[in-house]
Amino acid sequence: MSELRWDGPEMSGGPECGLSRLDHGSSRPEGSVRTSPEPEPAPASGGGAVDPVKALMHRHRVLCERAVDPLEIAAGLEAHGVTDRTAARFRHRDVFSLAEEMYARVPRDPETPPERRPMPPASAPSGGWAVLALLPGALCAAAVSGVRLTHGQPRLVVAAAGALAVALGLRVALRRGPLRVPLGTTGRGGTWTCWLIAYALLGDGLLVAGLTDDPDGLWSLATAPVLALALSCAPALWCAHLLSVRARRKIVASRGLADFADSVKPLLLGVLALYLCALVALLALCGTVLDESAVPAGAVALGALLLLARLLTAHGFPHAPAVVLGAAALTETGALASVFASRLPGCSLLAVPVRTVTDTWGPGAVPTLVCGIGALLLLVHATRTLTRASAHARPPGVT
Amino acid sequence: MRIGLLTEGGYPYVSGDARLWCDRLVRGLERHEFDVYALSRSEQQEDEGWVPLPPQVSRVRTAPLWTAEDDGVVHGRRARRRFAEAYGELASVLCSAGTPESREALKAAAGLEADRFSNALYSLAELAREEGGLVGALRSEAAVHTLERACRAPGALGAAREARVADLLTVAGHLERALRPLSLDWYENGGLGSVDLCHAAAGGVAALPGLLAAHFHGVPLLVTEYGVPLRAHYLGTCGDAPVRALLAAFHRRLTVEVYRRAARLTPGNTHARRWQERCGADRAKIRTVYPGMEVSRFAEVGEAPESADPHTLVWVGRVEPAKDLISLLHAFAEVRGAEPKARLRIVGAAAGDEGAAYLGHCRALAAQLFPHEADRVPAAGDNPVSFEEIGDPAVPDLAVAYASGAVVVLSSVVEGFPTSLVEAMFCGRPTVSTDAGAVVEVIGGTGLVVPPRNPKALAEACVALLRAPERRARLGAAARARALELFTVEQNVAAFRDLYLEIVSRTPVRKVVLDQAGEPLPFGAPAEAHVPGRWTEPRPAAGGLGAAGGLGVTDVADGAGVASGASVAGGAGLGGVVSGRPRWAVDTPVRSTGTHPAATGEPVPAGEGAR
Repeated sequence: MSELRWDGPEMSGGPECGLSRLDHGSSRPEGSVRTSPEPEPAPASGGGAVDPVKALMHRHRVLCERAVDPLEIAAGLEAHGVTDRTAARFRHRDVFSLAEEMYARVPRDPETPPERRPMPPASAPSGGWAVLALLPGALCAAAVSGVRLTHGQPRLVVAAAGALAVALGLRVALRRGPLRVPLGTTGRGGTWTCWLIAYALLGDGLLVAGLTDDPDGLWSLATAPVLALALSCAPALWCAHLLSVRARRKIVASRGLADFADSVKPLLLGVLALYLCALVALLALCGTVLDESAVPAGAVALGALLLLARLLTAHGFPHAPAVVLGAAALTETGALASVFASRLPGCSLLAVPVRTVTDTWGPGAVPTLVCGIGALLLLVHATRTLTRASAHARPPGVT
Repeated sequence: MRIGLLTEGGYPYVSGDARLWCDRLVRGLERHEFDVYALSRSEQQEDEGWVPLPPQVSRVRTAPLWTAEDDGVVHGRRARRRFAEAYGELASVLCSAGTPESREALKAAAGLEADRFSNALYSLAELAREEGGLVGALRSEAAVHTLERACRAPGALGAAREARVADLLTVAGHLERALRPLSLDWYENGGLGSVDLCHAAAGGVAALPGLLAAHFHGVPLLVTEYGVPLRAHYLGTCGDAPVRALLAAFHRRLTVEVYRRAARLTPGNTHARRWQERCGADRAKIRTVYPGMEVSRFAEVGEAPESADPHTLVWVGRVEPAKDLISLLHAFAEVRGAEPKARLRIVGAAAGDEGAAYLGHCRALAAQLFPHEADRVPAAGDNPVSFEEIGDPAVPDLAVAYASGAVVVLSSVVEGFPTSLVEAMFCGRPTVSTDAGAVVEVIGGTGLVVPPRNPKALAEACVALLRAPERRARLGAAARARALELFTVEQNVAAFRDLYLEIVSRTPVRKVVLDQAGEPLPFGAPAEAHVPGRWTEPRPAAGGLGAAGGLGVTDVADGAGVASGASVAGGAGLGGVVSGRPRWAVDTPVRSTGTHPAATGEPVPAGEGAR
């Protein structure tokens, strides 16, 4: 029987799983290799008081306790050098029947669940994306200060270059990290996102100009909300990371799919609230620094809409965000177009809905309403889709 | 004949498993046409490219197993229900405990389970073929949900009942990966539907396309297993108990299904054969075909008169812990005690970090066991144990390494098919080896076999051979003769050539026979072609080592022999090819009268028989 002994952790199995953990006899330190061979004692075939299979089971205790079926024990035994000829000494025809006996004799207590290995932690933030998340904000700040400091022709050039730089910076920042679009799905909301941000920058000014025939305000830029949105890329990424880490933890902890859905819903809402708090703070800060109006509600709604759209896309649900973003952008464009079209003779009725809204709540109400409704729709969608376990099966950004 | 060669992470990729064997097979059977259907295992493997392909490979189709494109098809209500039913059936089979008391009940239950598994598998395949979108469905929440329900169902495996969300996700992800071949577009008439025979180079997932081709088009399947994928799965698996239990159930059932559907199974050695029989393979279907090895590089050494130093023992192989060099060194210490002039050469490179550490340990042990012995061996003056690698000035190639020893030693604890032993046999060297893996069946009676981890027995056997030059020569010659008989590339290729003919000649014609105008020809295939029956006399199976590799010795009849017009037409020609079956040519009880031979649309056996 001593030929069944296995020396140390050296097996051709996987490095951390499989056979290297099958090392039996905890007294033997890992890596110890026998240096003095012992003579071969005859196996207990003489039918003495000792049960030979019991001794064998003791030697392969870990293997037996771990096995999910007899074939697994057979495979493990063979990997330890047990052949049919060895099995014959235990009065078995072959390794399979020996393994069957061993499997049948393993004491199994149905009450105590088998021990679990700790789940490998979700990918630690590699740092790269967490720092890159600041890139759009920094570029936007530079562009805004450039626009503020220049006038005339250079100003246009700076504005165009700044917009391009921010767009590229955003792409780079989102290419890695928890908001990365997984392989195989295509994010189709890019154009609409740009459109919505352009409206946030120019839309209110245009709308007011269109309604009041005031050509001065035509190109007034609302830089504070855009700057705040760009800066909020960083909290958005951190919030998304928080969501994925927490969700993975809940996957491990929860026993059923319903449990998981119940526990993820507050997490999702909490993460969204956290992001909105950060956005409001950034908006207030930017408004103070740039001397613009207080926190515009439209920017908050837009931020929520964009975050939800990106979260859904990153978790493999790109369809709804694309539709909602597109609808929101088209509605805003339609509002602007209706205002300008109402100047045509006989078309003054066209501007009535927009005028009613702006008269009641001010020009910022149009994007607030549109983006707010869009964000609500996506939130409802997200509470149904992002609470599924399969949405968090693969950590986004790692695939 | 058109052969569909199915591989998974193997041939034609440069870094593939068993690519050497596949390459020799394809090159050796140049009269056949090969379509290679390869599943690749990683992006790196795809980037490394293919080996050069011979002209008989008419086309290569590849698909990645490491990634899957979601085709974007979203199932409608009916398709969703079909998927839920099929996947639910699959999941409930995987979760079912199935441990009836009596042995008969166990057998009946196993058959039922296998049927349920195959039904579920083929329903999923049909869904993928007709509707598409299987990848998305397998990844969906519905799949996870179905799995959860199956795990919580009464009568489920104890381990499955413990499954948590993380386990369910892992299992669903694994199933999605394993079932990716179902979504491929290989099973149409231009693809696997129109080959005459599918030859899977491994069992498990590699044979899955073959199963589907058999299901959709009735293409016969030949499965060659040089390793046992199921066993490898058990050894490599990790994770929590529920995951391991469910995945083991899936792979076990898939293996059983492959063995059930395959027309022939060719394990590479008796060890693989035992696993196949254990998993329910019909013994009548199994032919052991030993892997073939290149002889020419050992021809010079093997044919030359013994030129080695009569006191040298040689060990050749990859240095890794399973080879148990420690025992060898201890044994050699005892050999030195009896034969002071003995030397031991260990030739081989370390495999991986573990191997390197092990090699270092062995070197240290050698230095400890054999301290500087300049006073006792004045000529050499160095350690009697030397560690070398192929490519060193002293050992430019393998043949020289074997030639330098009087006896070749193998001390492994764990061994699959021992290549170094076969090479030593080709070189005409007597061997002393441990009883592990396929050693005994390879060595036959042409070398000494001792129990593993028993340095004393190893030493005694070595000393016995070192002291008996005549016995050495006799054993060496016998070993070379045996190896040339059993382990050459030629015998391997010839075995498969015969198997191809045998399988195709026994496959009933299922295709609709067309006339010149492309219209279906009524009565094109005789009615007998559809009647299962036996048209050779059953004879007792001659298994065992003597028949090893010798195909055509063992007779096959059970259930596989279905007469067809085409096979009868080829029968006369085949009689000469398939040796050991002389009744074939004379005894053809089913005669396809009134059938024009060319109209059967299956000219293959006749054409091959004429060769």
